Amino acid sequence: MRSSIPEGVKWAGPAVALLFALSVYPLAYSVKVSLTTAGGGVTLRNYSRLLSDEFFHTAAAQTLFYTSAALIVEFLLGLGLALLADSLLRGRGLFRAGLLAPMLLPPVVAAVIWRLMYNPQFGVLNGTLRALGVDTSNLTWTSGEGSAMLSVLLVDIWEWTPFIFLLLSAGLQAIPAEPYEAARVDGASGWQVLRDVTLPLLKPTILLALVLRAMDLMRIFDQIFILTQGGPGFATETVSLYIYRTAFRFFNFGYAAAMSFVGLAVTTILTRLLIRMINPRRIRQGA
Amino acid sequence: MIAASRAPFPWNRTPRLSRDRNAFPHATVRGLRTCFTVLSLAALLGCTPSRSAPSLTIAINSGVEGDALKSAAREWAALRALPVELVELPYTSLFEKLLLDLTSRTGAYDVVMIDDPWFPRLAGKGSLLPLDQMPDPDFLESCLDVCREPYRTGPYYALPYVGNSQLYFYRGDLFKKHSLPSPRTWQDVLHAARKIGASERMFGYVMRAAPGNAAVTDFMPLFWAFGAEMFSPAGAPAVASEEGVEALRFMLELGRYTPPGYAGYNADEVAAHLLQSSAVMSINWPSWIPAMDDPAKSKITGRIEFTAMPSAKRPGVASLGAWLLAVPRASRNAELAREFIVWATDAERMRAAALLGNPPTRRSVFLDEGLRRRYRAFPAQLASLETARPRPRTAKWNEIENVFGVYLSQANAGRLGAAQAMEKANREIAAILERAE
Repeated sequence: MRSSIPEGVKWAGPAVALLFALSVYPLAYSVKVSLTTAGGGVTLRNYSRLLSDEFFHTAAAQTLFYTSAALIVEFLLGLGLALLADSLLRGRGLFRAGLLAPMLLPPVVAAVIWRLMYNPQFGVLNGTLRALGVDTSNLTWTSGEGSAMLSVLLVDIWEWTPFIFLLLSAGLQAIPAEPYEAARVDGASGWQVLRDVTLPLLKPTILLALVLRAMDLMRIFDQIFILTQGGPGFATETVSLYIYRTAFRFFNFGYAAAMSFVGLAVTTILTRLLIRMINPRRIRQGA
Repeated sequence: MIAASRAPFPWNRTPRLSRDRNAFPHATVRGLRTCFTVLSLAALLGCTPSRSAPSLTIAINSGVEGDALKSAAREWAALRALPVELVELPYTSLFEKLLLDLTSRTGAYDVVMIDDPWFPRLAGKGSLLPLDQMPDPDFLESCLDVCREPYRTGPYYALPYVGNSQLYFYRGDLFKKHSLPSPRTWQDVLHAARKIGASERMFGYVMRAAPGNAAVTDFMPLFWAFGAEMFSPAGAPAVASEEGVEALRFMLELGRYTPPGYAGYNADEVAAHLLQSSAVMSINWPSWIPAMDDPAKSKITGRIEFTAMPSAKRPGVASLGAWLLAVPRASRNAELAREFIVWATDAERMRAAALLGNPPTRRSVFLDEGLRRRYRAFPAQLASLETARPRPRTAKWNEIENVFGVYLSQANAGRLGAAQAMEKANREIAAILERAE
C-alpha cells in the first residue's frame, strides 16, 4: 500500500527533526532561560543587568580591541605573505607548507607551548633574550598588566595568520592573467597593479577571510583561558570567558544566556558592517 | 532554472526518483528506515544506564588527591566482587558535572568526591544523603565540621577523605645561614625576605596572585592573621575593613620581594621558583611536598622546612582544602555507596592513601610512627590542619571568590591601591549577595 506522506517529507523529515532538536530547540530554550526568574516568572532583569555590569563592559571592550587588533594584523601579514608566495618562482610549496604549520596545531596545544615559552624566569623567550644580554627583569609577558593582552594577541597572530594567507593565496591564484597583461601594456606600476587589479579582484576572498576570522575572534576562549585565565586582574578577560564563568562556575545560566544573545547581536551587526565596508554594492543588491 | 525555483525539492524535478519504482524500490526505502529506527533505538538504549545488578559509579578528581581513591575503589571491587566504574574528571569539570547531577538528581553517580568550598552549594538543597551513623571521633574536628550543613551544626552529609590545609614552606638552610629563627609572624617573613633575598640574590618570597582562586587562597591566611573577616556577624560583606586593607597593604609590600609578574602566577609558577632555588619562601599545599624532596624535580632536596601559618594580630591560620566523600540522594545504590565511603575512610585505608601521597584526615594516621618517619612534614601538617579555617560557608562562594580575586590581582598588578581594591570588592560582593536574595 502506498503511503500518503509525500516523499519529500519522508526524506527531509529526519534531518529537519534533528536540526530542530539540536539547534532550534536549544536556541529557543536559551531565550526562555534568559527571560526567566528563579521562580519561573518572566523578567528582563538579566538584560538590564548588562547595562550596569562593569565586568561585562570591560570584557566587551577588550573583546572588540582583541578582535580588531588581531584582524588588522593578521590580514596585513596574511596578504603580504600571500603576495610574496605568489611572486615566488621556486619553493612556493615549501614556503606554504612551512607557514601553515602553526594552524595545524590544536589551539589548546599552541597555548600550552606559548605559556611555557612566556614564563618570565624559565621560558625560552626570556632565556634567549638574557643570553643576548637583554635585561628581562621586567619582561613578564602574560603576567604583566600592560603586556598580557599583547602576549595573547601575538599567539593568535602566530597561529591564525596562516589561515588568512591560505585563503588569499588561493584567491590570488584564481585571478586570470589577462588583467595583469593589460595593466602591463598600459604601463601600470607595481603599486597601481596591486591597487587597481589585484585587490579589487581579490575582494570576495578578502571578505570571506575577514568575516570568518572576525566571527572566530569575537568568541575567542581557549587561548586566553590557558594563557592568562583572563588575568592579571581582568586585563585579558573576554566576553566568552566571562560567559563561561557565569554559566559553569557560578551556574547563572539566565545571565550567561542574556550575554550570549547580546554577543550574537553585536557579532551579526559587526559582520554586516564589515561586509558593507568591503562590498557596498552587494549589500545594496541584497546579496 | 525556472523549473528548479518552482520545484524546490529534487524529487519534484526528477521524476525517476519518485515515480520509477524500479529505479529506487520502496523495499530499499523501508529497509533504510528500519535500519535508522533500529540504530536510533540502540543509541537511546545505550544512553540509558543499566542498573539491574548492584554496582558503584564514583566521580573522582583527576589529580593527585584522586589517585588513592581509585586504588581503594579497585581494592573494594575485588573484595566485594562488584563492578565499580570510576569517572575521572578534571577539577573544574568535576564541579560542573556534580552540580548538574546533584541539582537535577540524575543518579549518574553513587559516590562523589567534593572539594570542601563546593560543599555548601552541593549539600544546600538536600541533594546529598545524610550519614546514617556518627563519624568516628578519630577524624580531625576541622575536617568534620565542613561535612555538616549548616556548617558545624547541621547533620553530616559526607566523610573527610583528604586533609589538605596550607603550609608555610621556607628554606631552612638559608634561615640557618643567616641566623634567623623559623618565621612565626608575618613581620618575620618580611624581614627574612628582605635579608635573605638581598644577600643571596634570590626572590625573598613568592606568591600567586592570578585572578580568582589563586589570589584569594594565598591572601586568606594574611587576611585572617591581620584580624579581618569576609563577613560581619550580620552577614554583610566586610572585606574593606581597616584590617582587610592593612592585610592587602602587607601583601603588596611582600610583593616587592616576589618575582615580577606574580599577579599572573598560579601554583605551578610558585612551586617552580622554590624547586629551582630562585625563591626563599611561599605558602603552598602539602601535595607539593614530595616534589620538593624529589631529586628529579628539585634543586633543593631536604632543604625546605615546613611550618604552620605565621601570625600577625591574630594567630596564623591556614585555609582548609579538604576533599570529602558523599552519596547523592539520587544514587541507585545508596546503601552500598554509604558502606564504601565508611570503608574508604577507615584508618587502615587512610594509612594506605597516605602512602600514596594523600594528607590524612584522621589524627591516628598523623600520629603513626612509621608514617612520621617517612613524612617529615606530618607534625607541621597536623598542627596546620587542627586550626585550619574553611573558606566562608556560602553557596555563592565561587562567585564571591572570583570577584575578590580579580580585585586582589588588580591591586597586585599595580592597577588599584589597597583601599580602592577592597572597596570595589566589598561593593561587588554586596551586589552578589543582594542578587542571591
